[in-house]
Amino acid sequence: MQRRDRGTVQAVGAPLTVRVKNSRVLLIGAGGIGCELLKNLVCCGFGSGYIPPNGANGIPSPKHTPGITVIDLDTIDLSNLNRQFLFRKQHIKKPKALVAKETALPFNPAVNIDAQHASIFDPQYTVAFFRSFDIVFNALDNLAARRHVNRMCLAADVPLIESGTTGFNGQAQAIQKGVTECYDCNPKPVQKSFPICTIRSTPSQPIHCIVWAKSYLLPELFGTSEEEANDMVETEGDDQEEVKKLRAEAQALKKIRGLMGTSEFAKAVFDKVFYEDIERLKSMEEMWQTRKKPVSIQFDTIDKLSAAEGAALASQDQQSWTLVENLAVFCHSLATLTGRAQAGESSIDFDKDDKDTLDFVTSASNLRSHVFGVLLHSEWEVKQMAGNIIPAIATSNALTASLSVMLGFKVFRGMLAAESETATTNGHTMVMKPNNPPLGGSKFIFLNPRSTERIITTQNLARPNPACPVCSPVYAELHIPPVDADGNGMSTLQDLVGILIGNNDYAHFTISTEAGVIYDEDMTDNYSSPLAELGIEPGSSGFVTITDDDEDPRADLVLSVTAAPADGGLSIESHISYGKLPLKPVPAAPPTESGTAPDVKSAMNGIALLNREKRKRGAGDDGDDEVDAAAAKRAKAAPTASDAVVTIDDDGAILLDD
Amino acid sequence: MANDRVPTPPPLHDLPTAKEKRYDRQLRLWGASGQVALEEAHILLVNTGSGVTGIEALKNLVLPGVGQFSILDSAIVCEEDLGVNFFLEDESLGKFRAEETPLESFLQKDDNLKPFTLLLVGAPIDYASLRKIRDLALASQTPLFYTHCIGFFSHFSVQLPRAFPVVDTHPDPTATQDLRLLKPWSELQDFAKRMTDDLETMAQHDLGHVPYVCLLLHYIDKYRTQHGKLPESYKDKTAVRDMVRAEGKDEENFEEAYAAVLKSLNPPTIPSAVRDVLSAPETQSLTSVSSSFWLIANAIQRFVTKYSVLPLPGAVPDMKARSNDYITLQQIYKSKARADCAEVTASVRSLEKSTNRSAKLEIPVNEIENFCKNAAHIHLVRGRPLQLITPGEKPSFGDRAKALRSELTNPESLMGLYLAFLAFDDFTATHTPPVPAHPSSPTGVLVPGASDSALEADAAKLTSTAHTYLDALINESGNRLEDPEYSDLRAEIEKYCTEIARAGGAELHNMASLTGGLVSQEIIKVITGQYVGVDNVCLVEGVASRMGTLKV
Ligand SMILES: [Zn+2]
Repeated sequence: MQRRDRGTVQAVGAPLTVRVKNSRVLLIGAGGIGCELLKNLVCCGFGSGYIPPNGANGIPSPKHTPGITVIDLDTIDLSNLNRQFLFRKQHIKKPKALVAKETALPFNPAVNIDAQHASIFDPQYTVAFFRSFDIVFNALDNLAARRHVNRMCLAADVPLIESGTTGFNGQAQAIQKGVTECYDCNPKPVQKSFPICTIRSTPSQPIHCIVWAKSYLLPELFGTSEEEANDMVETEGDDQEEVKKLRAEAQALKKIRGLMGTSEFAKAVFDKVFYEDIERLKSMEEMWQTRKKPVSIQFDTIDKLSAAEGAALASQDQQSWTLVENLAVFCHSLATLTGRAQAGESSIDFDKDDKDTLDFVTSASNLRSHVFGVLLHSEWEVKQMAGNIIPAIATSNALTASLSVMLGFKVFRGMLAAESETATTNGHTMVMKPNNPPLGGSKFIFLNPRSTERIITTQNLARPNPACPVCSPVYAELHIPPVDADGNGMSTLQDLVGILIGNNDYAHFTISTEAGVIYDEDMTDNYSSPLAELGIEPGSSGFVTITDDDEDPRADLVLSVTAAPADGGLSIESHISYGKLPLKPVPAAPPTESGTAPDVKSAMNGIALLNREKRKRGAGDDGDDEVDAAAAKRAKAAPTASDAVVTIDDDGAILLDD
Repeated sequence: MANDRVPTPPPLHDLPTAKEKRYDRQLRLWGASGQVALEEAHILLVNTGSGVTGIEALKNLVLPGVGQFSILDSAIVCEEDLGVNFFLEDESLGKFRAEETPLESFLQKDDNLKPFTLLLVGAPIDYASLRKIRDLALASQTPLFYTHCIGFFSHFSVQLPRAFPVVDTHPDPTATQDLRLLKPWSELQDFAKRMTDDLETMAQHDLGHVPYVCLLLHYIDKYRTQHGKLPESYKDKTAVRDMVRAEGKDEENFEEAYAAVLKSLNPPTIPSAVRDVLSAPETQSLTSVSSSFWLIANAIQRFVTKYSVLPLPGAVPDMKARSNDYITLQQIYKSKARADCAEVTASVRSLEKSTNRSAKLEIPVNEIENFCKNAAHIHLVRGRPLQLITPGEKPSFGDRAKALRSELTNPESLMGLYLAFLAFDDFTATHTPPVPAHPSSPTGVLVPGASDSALEADAAKLTSTAHTYLDALINESGNRLEDPEYSDLRAEIEKYCTEIARAGGAELHNMASLTGGLVSQEIIKVITGQYVGVDNVCLVEGVASRMGTLKV
């Protein structure tokens, strides 16, 4: 053992040190927690490979090539530098994953680090890819990616260490299929969205005006995307007539874009949205019977400040601007954005760290607030509301990351015990000994800033929720044979149905993919379609779900798709047999869209989780990582740590028993 | 000696945009004033061991923008450090991490510690230096942190000034609501009357928009008319709640009122922690150079004497209401808060005069406003000296002996680990390394378990010392500990000591990172003067991710 491993060896013992050095680790995210995790993993020797001094004497050779793979799709931003310590000023705009590797490697050059600047949703990250690792660490900043990785790890049956922070709060947990609850066992709250008529016609809160400015006015003037904003939706409560009129209004606004760059542009936009549209709304008497009527304003009747004064005001973001001041900032930001658009920026979307868009959204939302008699806010406050900013600091990231790696040690201890057991019993199915608790005795760990007596608390990991739609299915692989040189041997849906009935003993069932149902007993249109045409082909990260249509249904079977060996045919892993599938539990309530949605207040406190489309990087995505509010609540009621003891076993290895 | 000075621009009180952007995520936690305090801070790290904990803590402080730091360190870089110390790279192997200057000679000049706002010392350190640093910090009232991190165990102690007041404690937002419903002033009373005048005959739609604060005031009034007293007991409050329920016509605002009864119908009280501040000797006897905290506290004390309540904080929670009614209600609370604050400010100004305070020390209005807003949650820490053992002697626990003795029967307590760390310090103070020392050994310090051959003997020595300390604590408290607790505790202490010896002073990087994280978080609280921190000992048992605190 090298001298540099002395700290680790003395603390965890030689066998566990060797296991950790021979590990293959996937780290997803190189942000706040990711940087800390990478440093701790590297410094503790994870993935550095163990070279026995006198040949491989009794030490099992590693299953996979040891190393750490780090994946992140982001580039470095100035606002990351207060906590993402692997990055310096000169790294701004460079890929996080690559810079993190470059900076962390010298801490321990023996570690084999593979950095990938990519999205974890990319198709190359298949179940087989996940399965090639001993453990996965999540250091993500958004719900969609967390849920995706959770599912991939369940399918690959690889332990996952999940973590997140909000301000001084933090948490870390270990997840394994069939052993612990998964990330989706408890429904997660989603971001609040507003009915379109509230945003466009009857705002009554500052957030309504902010959403209007950021998701309607700014995109209409400077965006290209036809996509609907996800914080403004048409609901059943919305008056259809009104929705139609609102569409026409939006079209009219688009026309005003033609004036961009001319001296009339600001006046035209202003009078359109703060005078004409408001006058139209005012004329709809029934709308104002129980509400206060808005008061329209006209460009020419408000005092003008100079352009320089507008620019100067924009830098005073902690004070509330008056009507005149808001107009000055509005004109200033409109001119700046126009300049950018004319310089070739085809689409300018809201980004809370893009000062020009923030100036625009703040002033426009304040002008609208003025019209509707809603409280005005400073830019600082608007930024928090519009950007869904999550406070993030170095200390919480450091704490959460080190707690995660602590869990990692435990998971490896569990593996070590299991592996040596397996070795001694000649490859027979391993039975956990009572002194080898699942995941090495990992816990759910919380950081509670308000309790100075117990900044760190733990609780036992919960069992899987039997009704969880994500972890209750049985996961298996579907092997699809390659097509020969003449294009023959293409597997079809019929072939798949055939093997399900013939090999796996299925009778009545439905087959679906992410695109929806592709087969059931009454729907055989796709029967002769090649699987590839239905999106089912090796090398995609999508899943195929087989749902049992029997009266007492068996659990869902979820298949990941891989290439069959050259001589193999279409098949599902041999151990899968209908009769052996567990019965399906009572269906779970899917994560609710509104029931548990946090209100705007809690969103501002940073405990809100954002429901995001895959790979869509919204402006609110860069806080470090949000704490699961439900879990945080449980933590409050959590019993405190149990009595852990450290024992030394006969061969000198330290057992981390709780 | 080493001086890794980080050059800093002068602190900018208006925080220009680039800086604001860089620190955006944290400014939301401690504001511009906290950021300025960080930037003006100069931290001294005294590291004589491998020192990862200190370096980790420093990293977490440099990132959020601590102004300056210096490292006082005489160890030579060797490969062993590289495994754990990420500030250093392979290239620096064999070079001095710092110019070699004995700690002793640096400490000879008392003034050498003057420039620092906070001291962070990592064990192991030679005993005489630690004592000297502790005494100098006590004399200059400079905050001092002292840490151990060995294997899976760590500890830190905090020595704060005798009086360490915290105004911005950032309490849970739900705990800060003070609506004064049982003691409304006339403007609030009038507004509520106006809103609830024709409550019985109001159209359903209007009824659904009466702010719940007005509804509650209405029902409190009704209760008083019926019972001739305010609803103060739990039973009275449930009676009011039943009145709300009886009339609640399935409207959201009635739901809000119903839910708020128990927590909002409280007579305004002054928490005992605040009373302690108001009656503290520093508040009572002001001088021309009293800190602004005591002067404002005195002014608040005058306010309390006159009105029996603290100044109104003035915040109003969100509620179902028409926006103009809500704005009016907000204004009523705000202007009352402003009026209260103005009265306190007037007292402050007259106290400034009567104490002959120099004009330069005039207290800024926003500081008074902030104090008024947080008055119910101010917190005063009475710092205690770092407990130091005298080598070879039994420690004394003084006025804390009884409280610490009771920790011994608390299964959650890590008191045994604390005793093990005290024993570690005794060991390093009473042993000197063989000459010549291994280049990696901190100068003049020998840790238990440094060599394999001495491991068992060292573990036994540590255990025996820690057991002596346990008996000393029990004797001092005058409260015996019976078996099986006593034997169990001795066995637990033996385990800790054996583990500490086994680790041979080596830090597990991950544990050092965890400890560094905790230490830096507490340092940020101390430097910004915000949030309530650990007072005054924190212990971590990394295997189970357990932590506990003690007041020693
Ligand atoms: Zn689940």
